[in-house]
Amino acid sequence: MSTEPSQLPSRRAVLGGGMALGLGLLLSACSSAGASVLEAPSGPPRRGGTLRVGLAGGGAADSLDPHSPVSTTDIARVVNLYESLLYRDENFELKPLLAVKVIPDASAKVWTATLRPGVKFHNGAPVTAQDVVATFKRITNPKDPKSGAASLAILDEVVALDAETVEFRLNTASATFDDSLGQYALGIVPADFDVLHPVGTGPFKAKSFDAGRQSVFVRNDGYWRENEPYLDELVILNFSDQDALINSLLSSQVDAIGQIPLALLEVIGADPRITVLKSPTGGWMPFTMRVDKKPFDDVRVRQAFRLAVDREQMIQQVLSGHGTVGNDLYAPFDPGFAAALPQRTQDIAKAKALLADAGYPKGLDIELVTAPIQSGAVEAAQVFAQQAAAAGIRVKIRQVETTTFFGDNYLDWTFAQDFWYTRNFLPQVSSSSLPDSPFNETHWDNKKFTALVDRANQEVDEARRNQLIAEAQKIEYEQGGYIIWGFPDQADAYQKYVAGLVPNKTGLALSGFEFRRAWIGVSQ
Amino acid sequence: MSAAAEVLERPAKLEKKPNLLMRTLRQKQAKIGLALTLLVLAIALFGPLALPWLTGSTSTEFTGRPFTSTGLFGTDNLGRDVFSRFLDGGLKLLVYSALATGIGMLLGVVLGMVAAYSGRRLDGLLMRGNDVLLALPQLVFAMLAITVLGPQGWVLVLVIGVTHAPRVARVTRSAAAAVITEDYIRASEMYAVPRWKILLTEVLPNITGPLMVELGLRMTYSIGFVAALSFLGMGMQPPNADWGLMINENRIALVVQPWGVILPVLAIAVLTVGTNLLTDSLARASANINVGN
Repeated sequence: MSTEPSQLPSRRAVLGGGMALGLGLLLSACSSAGASVLEAPSGPPRRGGTLRVGLAGGGAADSLDPHSPVSTTDIARVVNLYESLLYRDENFELKPLLAVKVIPDASAKVWTATLRPGVKFHNGAPVTAQDVVATFKRITNPKDPKSGAASLAILDEVVALDAETVEFRLNTASATFDDSLGQYALGIVPADFDVLHPVGTGPFKAKSFDAGRQSVFVRNDGYWRENEPYLDELVILNFSDQDALINSLLSSQVDAIGQIPLALLEVIGADPRITVLKSPTGGWMPFTMRVDKKPFDDVRVRQAFRLAVDREQMIQQVLSGHGTVGNDLYAPFDPGFAAALPQRTQDIAKAKALLADAGYPKGLDIELVTAPIQSGAVEAAQVFAQQAAAAGIRVKIRQVETTTFFGDNYLDWTFAQDFWYTRNFLPQVSSSSLPDSPFNETHWDNKKFTALVDRANQEVDEARRNQLIAEAQKIEYEQGGYIIWGFPDQADAYQKYVAGLVPNKTGLALSGFEFRRAWIGVSQ
Repeated sequence: MSAAAEVLERPAKLEKKPNLLMRTLRQKQAKIGLALTLLVLAIALFGPLALPWLTGSTSTEFTGRPFTSTGLFGTDNLGRDVFSRFLDGGLKLLVYSALATGIGMLLGVVLGMVAAYSGRRLDGLLMRGNDVLLALPQLVFAMLAITVLGPQGWVLVLVIGVTHAPRVARVTRSAAAAVITEDYIRASEMYAVPRWKILLTEVLPNITGPLMVELGLRMTYSIGFVAALSFLGMGMQPPNADWGLMINENRIALVVQPWGVILPVLAIAVLTVGTNLLTDSLARASANINVGN
């Protein structure tokens, strides 16, 4: 390049060379992005590699406490560090995890769990019945009850029978106590657990954690499942904003992201480098009508409101078509779900007739309180307002902040919204549909319903229990205060070279955060 | 504008200077500003009338799935026509901003003139009180009021208007302070003209220049505030179409269907730039008699 006879490189040559180098780097950077993996890896899972997962939510209050996960990022971390006795698998079926079996006695008041033999904590100590007892003591500590404690109110005491057997003694019969044990917030930890040195039995061990920013976990080589996990390292990153989350995936700064907006599913999926994982869930976003307040104290008004909804259009407009139509009933994955009841569809004429019968021949005005409590909530309120207008229901939308929504007036709103994750019927009822439920937002108090639920709770025979559940659901179908128009799908996205993730019905993102399954295909 | 007529007229009435408005409009940037402002005003005023025959749908009707390319500018986050919502979304924003500006100007001018004219103790009291209010950021104050009183139109207008007042009062006071020492004020005082009449007929006409500038500025700010509060979900409530709200609703799809954000952003930007240019020219015209001559 240099035409000067001197041996030393000229200033121009140095500059030019530097520029060429810079340009070359830039070009190689471009080409490496261009040659990213466009086909999903196949064949047997490969070991090794790091998976960087981006999730929205969480903040400075994030913690690695196994028993009080709050944000999405908390849950993702807890699921990979700790394991409970049972868990809900990708089909929303209750499967053994640290216990090999959990069985009730005839009265459903005493449940016996047998631990999986040979499982070791991250520090090498074996899991014993004493650890299980200590774990439940920590969760239900009356001075500092953890988030899992709410569903364990009926638990009187936990007793270690021998090194591998634990007995759960209840104060009330519950035929579905195993369901409560299957929560991810009930991970078993050693008796001397300290949250600063988080030790569990999960597929990954904590290496570093920076609340609100990121955590780095490494493979637990002593994990009890064969071959799993495949990854050497798992990095979970917090994002405060969904736009930033999606952009970081598109620019390959993370390998996988959880919960993408359904409206953008097609667009993100159109990128040849990205795979979209869509899972049906039993999560629901109901409108809640207070059955003890005017005008909803009249069952005809409630039914009229339910008939005013065009459910198919709701799914199309609010969820961009990615969801399942609802029938005003929750717990769609419950084995006892009343699937035989006819699907309710929009019937404006009938809705008008019912309103006229109830004393509103000219329609009625109603205020609907909404808040961005979940993606799609405010949108659903708007679509409902539009649809109900045809039946003479004039909806005035009042949008408040999420903090206001869940503030002092929460559970007092006459007509509002809420959202719930996938649950089976009986646990859902105990949280939201009994007179003494903590979140009875519709103020539902039906004697016959409560009696049926009580009987179902004590019925150990599954077929008979399912029959009772279906009967109870029929009452809600005919009189309840929920308008349940649909169940949104859960959508995640990841780079094509990530493999092993499967659709998961629990509503938790990215295969229920079970990154033990994930592996990285060769990038070329 | 007939320049010839102006020239012919001038020798006849030598003492009459071209008025403030004329001097303003003779500047090039004022013409541009006026054109921009009128353009957005026309969209906001006549847009709602053009629905649904122009776009084929009303602003709340569903025309397709969310964020698809149905229609001229695609659909928004709920599958409604972006163009229809855009045409329908400006009127309330402008009316609210104008009302808020009006309230702010009225309160501020009265306070400022009273403070300047009464002097000493009342002046000190009013202006120090003013300082306290000035210390509060306007938007934060507005958000507080709306959280307490609920997102209603009148709250929005009132709170933005009231928070404008101290700023307007400050300008008015300094403008009026320069005027009240003039001899014609003394003369009126000697004739025992009531104070309010002096303020109204002697002081006010002589401070219109700075006040017009302030009016323009406050209008620009009002537009910004109303749009910002709607964006934050505290202004206009869904399913109303509103430019600020539109930006919020459609921003997640900025990469996919940008029109839902670009159209309202453009309209607000053009409007504020337009009113700013106008105000700027007005300020020049009022500061310098010879501008535009």
